Amino acid sequence: MTAVNAAPAATVVAWRRRWLSVGAVVVAAHLLLAVFVPLLPLQSPTAQDATAVLQGMSRAHWLGTDDLGRDVLSRTLWGGRPSIGIAFGAALLAALLGVLIGTAAALAGGWLDDVLMRVNDVLLALPSLLVLMLVASFIGRQPVVLMVTLAVMYAPPIARLVRGATLGVLGRDFVVAARLRGARSAEIVTREVLPNIRGVVITEVAMQFSWILLAFSSLSFLGLGTAPPTPEWGLMVAGARTYITVNALPLVAPMVMLASLVLAVNSLIDRSALEDHP
Amino acid sequence: MTGYVLRRAALSIGVFVAMAVLTYLGIAALPGDACTALLGKFATAGKLAQCRAEHGLDAPVLQRLGDWMLGLLRGDLGYSVKRSAPVSELIAPRIRNALLLAGVASLLAFPAAIAVGLATGRREQSKVSRAVDSTALVAMTLPEFVTASVLWLVLSVWLPILPAVTVVSSDDSLLDLLPNVWLPAITLAVLVFAHVMRSMRASVSATSRRPFADAARLRGVPERAVVRRHILPASLPPTVNVVAVTAAWLLTGTFVVEVVFNYPGLGRLAVDAIADRDTDLILALTLLGLGVFIVASFLADTVIRLLDPRVRAGVGRA
Repeated sequence: MTAVNAAPAATVVAWRRRWLSVGAVVVAAHLLLAVFVPLLPLQSPTAQDATAVLQGMSRAHWLGTDDLGRDVLSRTLWGGRPSIGIAFGAALLAALLGVLIGTAAALAGGWLDDVLMRVNDVLLALPSLLVLMLVASFIGRQPVVLMVTLAVMYAPPIARLVRGATLGVLGRDFVVAARLRGARSAEIVTREVLPNIRGVVITEVAMQFSWILLAFSSLSFLGLGTAPPTPEWGLMVAGARTYITVNALPLVAPMVMLASLVLAVNSLIDRSALEDHP
Repeated sequence: MTGYVLRRAALSIGVFVAMAVLTYLGIAALPGDACTALLGKFATAGKLAQCRAEHGLDAPVLQRLGDWMLGLLRGDLGYSVKRSAPVSELIAPRIRNALLLAGVASLLAFPAAIAVGLATGRREQSKVSRAVDSTALVAMTLPEFVTASVLWLVLSVWLPILPAVTVVSSDDSLLDLLPNVWLPAITLAVLVFAHVMRSMRASVSATSRRPFADAARLRGVPERAVVRRHILPASLPPTVNVVAVTAAWLLTGTFVVEVVFNYPGLGRLAVDAIADRDTDLILALTLLGLGVFIVASFLADTVIRLLDPRVRAGVGRA
């Protein structure tokens, strides 16, 4: 595996370079904004003003107002919270599920491995947006429901990667040595396997985070995610399309935010590492 | 070959039936049904029972599954409670529209993607090749509604080349539909182009480094012939799979793009059906998507077998 073979110096240099990259700054800014936006001196993102509808940029409303006279700047800055929060929670949960299932399948082998991986394949084959829409419509669009569904739908690729990476580490001498020492399976996983596969797993989870973000904002766009009047980028884009010829800002602003976040997350992901070691 | 095709077809039918049963049970297991959706907040226990009895929803689930499967064999796709119409009547015009959209998008995307993938894959490290690849990656990572909205803003609001608002009903004639097909088709073509091109590029770059390509060059075969006779045939099989999967997606999975452009295809019908909890319609559309997907992968496997003598002879099987 990469983590075992790569020279540490090169990895450190690459990581430092990556930390300094524009992508990292943009992602950090988005995360900080999502956490601290309630502290900013912004107008209410949901307050309507029938006397100031669809205005352009002005001193009172820096990015103008939407069809209900709501401040676009405030809505745009607040609009990342639902998607980032849900995607963050779902990605962490998916990582937990993926690591548990992947290491269990690799360590157990035999029928348990077969069963876990076949279930994994079935989940991988399901079109996730379709499943999400069905769950949102039939069960409900409460954040917890959507977060758990997203985690289950996006855990399989992580589980598959963890299983493969774990199998790669299990055959190595230091694991054999640990076994001879009498280490238990749980200890082997936490002390020997996880530290060695950490890099690829983090990269894969970051990638799934960006897919989850896309899936959730698409769901909101289709009217089955975040419920109005909560500001959310996908929902804002959906609402802004009808009066596009009057005012394009309510459409463009959330799109710029969403696109910058997704592209920045992807710029941090070392795709080549994943594509060489599927 | 005939034996293979028959075996593969039988397997496809088996998978289809199994998935149909699972889909039915899965949707039946979700809370809420067509009657709770139809009655909404006016639902009382009595009204619900009456509605369910009327539409045969009060029978045990396995019996309903049996009736549904028998209906499918007779070509009866069920009845939409919410829309008060047979499902087949709702779907038929949408299939035609979906074929038009998928056809235009395929023509725009597939030939260009394979050509560009072939050209850039042979010079993987060149600046142009890498720039094309990064642009394709951006197109793949952006949400579909963002790509669609940007193209819409540029092509029909700022430079009014294409109609901005689609006001067609699902059973308008194809000619009336044609002006409205361009924007969704271009959006889908951009996404499909990115996927197919990247697959082709990776595949070409791998095969052009293989010994047989160098052997041909050393024999004095001109570069064009090396590409046409050696690199291209060896690079196509993985891309054929990607083409099949994306073509299936174009036909039935284009929920977001159809909603953005208000295009009356299968995707928008599916979104509406799901929002309305219109179970029979959802089932029929899911089954259709599944069928298209299974047929596409069956065709892809057969074409790959025809293209690749190694797979045909069973050499180098993993």
